[in-house]
Amino acid sequence: MAEYTLSVNGQSYTVEASPDMPLLWVLRDRIKLTGTKFGCGQGLCGACTVHLGGEAVRSCVTPVSDVGTKRITTIEGLDPHGTHPLQKAWIEVDVAQCGYCQTGQIMTAAALLAKHPKPTDRDIDQAMGENVCRCGTYLRIREAIHRAAGQRKEVAP
Amino acid sequence: MTSRRDFLKVAGAGAGLVLGFHLEAKPRPGETAKTVFHPNAFLAIRPDGTAQVTVPKTEMGQGVRTALPLAVAEELDLDWSKVEVVTGQPGPDFKSMQTGGSTSVSTTWTPLRKAGAAAREMLKAAAAARWKVEAAQCRTEKGFVLGPDGKKLGYGDLAEAAAKLPVPKDAPLKKAADYRLVGKRTPRFDGPAIVTGKAIFGLDVRRPGQRFAAVLRCAVIGGQPKAWDEAKAKAVQGVKAVVKVPTGLAVIADSTWAAFKGRDALAATTTWEEGAARDFSSPALEAKMRAALTGPADDARREGDPAKALAAAAKVLEAEYSFPYQAHATVEPMNATTALSEGAAEMWMGSQSPNRAQERAATALGLKPEQLKLNVALIGGGFGRRLGTDFSTEAAQVAQAAGGGPIQVVWDREDDLRHDLHHPATLHRLKAGIDGAGALAAWTHRIAGPAVLRSWTGGQKAPSQAATETNGAYDIPYAIPAVAVDFAEVEAPTPLGWWRGIQIVPNVFARECFLDEVAHALGKDPLRFRLDLLGDRGIVKFGRDEADIRRLKKVLEVAATKAGWGRKLPAGHGLGLACHAYDGRTYAAEVAEVSVVKGRLKVHKVTCAVDCGLAVNPAGLEAQVEGGIAFGLSALFSQITWEKGRTVQTGYHDFPVLRLADMPVVETHVIPSAEAPSGMGEPPVPVAIPAVLNAVFAATEKRIRKVPIEDGLI
Repeated sequence: MAEYTLSVNGQSYTVEASPDMPLLWVLRDRIKLTGTKFGCGQGLCGACTVHLGGEAVRSCVTPVSDVGTKRITTIEGLDPHGTHPLQKAWIEVDVAQCGYCQTGQIMTAAALLAKHPKPTDRDIDQAMGENVCRCGTYLRIREAIHRAAGQRKEVAP
Repeated sequence: MTSRRDFLKVAGAGAGLVLGFHLEAKPRPGETAKTVFHPNAFLAIRPDGTAQVTVPKTEMGQGVRTALPLAVAEELDLDWSKVEVVTGQPGPDFKSMQTGGSTSVSTTWTPLRKAGAAAREMLKAAAAARWKVEAAQCRTEKGFVLGPDGKKLGYGDLAEAAAKLPVPKDAPLKKAADYRLVGKRTPRFDGPAIVTGKAIFGLDVRRPGQRFAAVLRCAVIGGQPKAWDEAKAKAVQGVKAVVKVPTGLAVIADSTWAAFKGRDALAATTTWEEGAARDFSSPALEAKMRAALTGPADDARREGDPAKALAAAAKVLEAEYSFPYQAHATVEPMNATTALSEGAAEMWMGSQSPNRAQERAATALGLKPEQLKLNVALIGGGFGRRLGTDFSTEAAQVAQAAGGGPIQVVWDREDDLRHDLHHPATLHRLKAGIDGAGALAAWTHRIAGPAVLRSWTGGQKAPSQAATETNGAYDIPYAIPAVAVDFAEVEAPTPLGWWRGIQIVPNVFARECFLDEVAHALGKDPLRFRLDLLGDRGIVKFGRDEADIRRLKKVLEVAATKAGWGRKLPAGHGLGLACHAYDGRTYAAEVAEVSVVKGRLKVHKVTCAVDCGLAVNPAGLEAQVEGGIAFGLSALFSQITWEKGRTVQTGYHDFPVLRLADMPVVETHVIPSAEAPSGMGEPPVPVAIPAVLNAVFAATEKRIRKVPIEDGLI
């Protein structure tokens, strides 16, 4: 075990963990922030997406020893009031079905909007292509991203 | 023996749904048991006017925590913004929370409305007594009772008085024309909690002192560990113990990661008694299924004389269709958390079968069901997987072997795919006899494969087995003089379970694609051919089911019209359609527009028309149509195959699920209806596959008779 001091959602946490423990399990089991989800443990489904230094990463394949001093943002810290434009759009479009993958979807989408404030459908296809939703809410995910970007209608690629 | 559907029917009408049972709605600070109005298991109104509605079904994304409270809120005229929703617990109040078969709305709609109506009459009576007027002079609106001369009292102010009144029998139900909430679009109740990460799924349960466990199971079905060295697991930092459980070896640790690592270290030291299933493989099963296509079978439906009609036919068409094993692949892997104390247990999990899970875990622990408190969490994907109780019983056994808990047993993705309760493969042989006048005179459909129903009947062969396994095939709705549909069971050692759309998915795939073949062989338009075969009929009985052919024709016509059936398409594009009356209750037709470029299938759009009776929450209904179509399309490219008694597939890399870029536009048309509401969780799934594959034929003249599409290429 080693000790790590992590900056999560603007707060500092000191945790004991083996160096290879993925950030996902540090967040969920040590810090008890369970909004970041476990789906595959292989970086293939996106349920575990968080922001590391502003970049969307798969926390299930990011060892805690690789985090260093980079700022970690999870769904719980995306917006202090839970009213990020994406969170609002997600509710307006009524995206979620079971909801399990949606925090990862929103975190991936937030990183997309930070880079492409007005994304095309193709931008969305590329950025969101590795986030699985088994309930099949994809059409609404697309619509909610456009809505959060201030684009009411879908934009042709 | 009851069939799954019979079971669900009985379950849905269970005694938990009548007035008079009381689930404790715990008083909050400032309240007492006397000040909370709690007339039945579904409802509690607090002094502050909030209404707590307890849902007798499990939420798994199908929207029951929104649609079912709407039924109560409608009759009671609740202020929706003051409604709090909680999920019930299995026990005397909720004797059957079983959630499956697209039955949640249809089985609870009336009891929930009655519960709301009774409470409404009690609140009116309480207000009338206070105002010294007749209850008939009072009415209700958005959380208030309104009386003569502008009198107005909130439900919260009346809660204590109403709680002292007798519960009326047969309180009048509203007319549909007076609905204010039902039939309007209501967003998902849990939406705000979901998008902020506050929604608690089973895997998010965190109890004081909780530990985590992973179970090392034999990859071969039914195999057991022979020898192992637990020192290797215990050498992993954070690992606390290794215990033997009936399903394998459980590694207990202080984090999920340490449990996984410990399990992997243990696996490297373990030798296995693989058992009888070690020689099981997909090719071997397929050979048995093919042999069964011509052997004995159990009739599900036999009308006219199909053998004679085929012999006399001017032309006989014949084809073989194939559908593979499928996995549920819920994004939230199986998990359950258990805490044991002297003579009692508490569990937390997402379960579609809370009562069964409670009974079986309690039995495994040597307890009575009532000694095990089971808390139903949100489910990160059900699709039938969590009707199973394998994972919950195992979690109880792990906690017991480890000396108490709380312990959360967590499956990983490989566990999930390897030890799923899979949906089995089937082979289909269909024959169509065309008479001298060019009419479809005979239809036979033989289905060979393992029987799912046995997974539900403790391995017994139920009398309804042939009907259940040929569901979607035996109830072929077209008017054909001679019909034979039968099932030839083929044994397989694979644990099976219900899967969204059940056997109707492969069976309607084969039926609707083969019917398309017949239409093309006769040079007929597939829409016209279907409409003619449906004919001018009303309610038609098929064995245990009946369907209203007029409603089926209507959805077919609406889907075709809205999709522009017959219009000129861009080069390389094709339109295909399919329809089905799901269990005779929900009618769905879909028209798919596809293109195939360099073998790559692109589904551009699916136009769907559905009739499920009254649409309680159209927003949730449309979401189910979109999701159901996605689930169906996903199955076009996925399969589970077996080698040496184990699955070949171990993750999302080799069991692909539909991704955003491949999701077609979905246009949903809901047929307005005053009929009693049925379900929408499953009915959109089965028609999606044949609609798409019939469109592929229209685009390419290539007939796909085997799912999954080989190498993803047409």
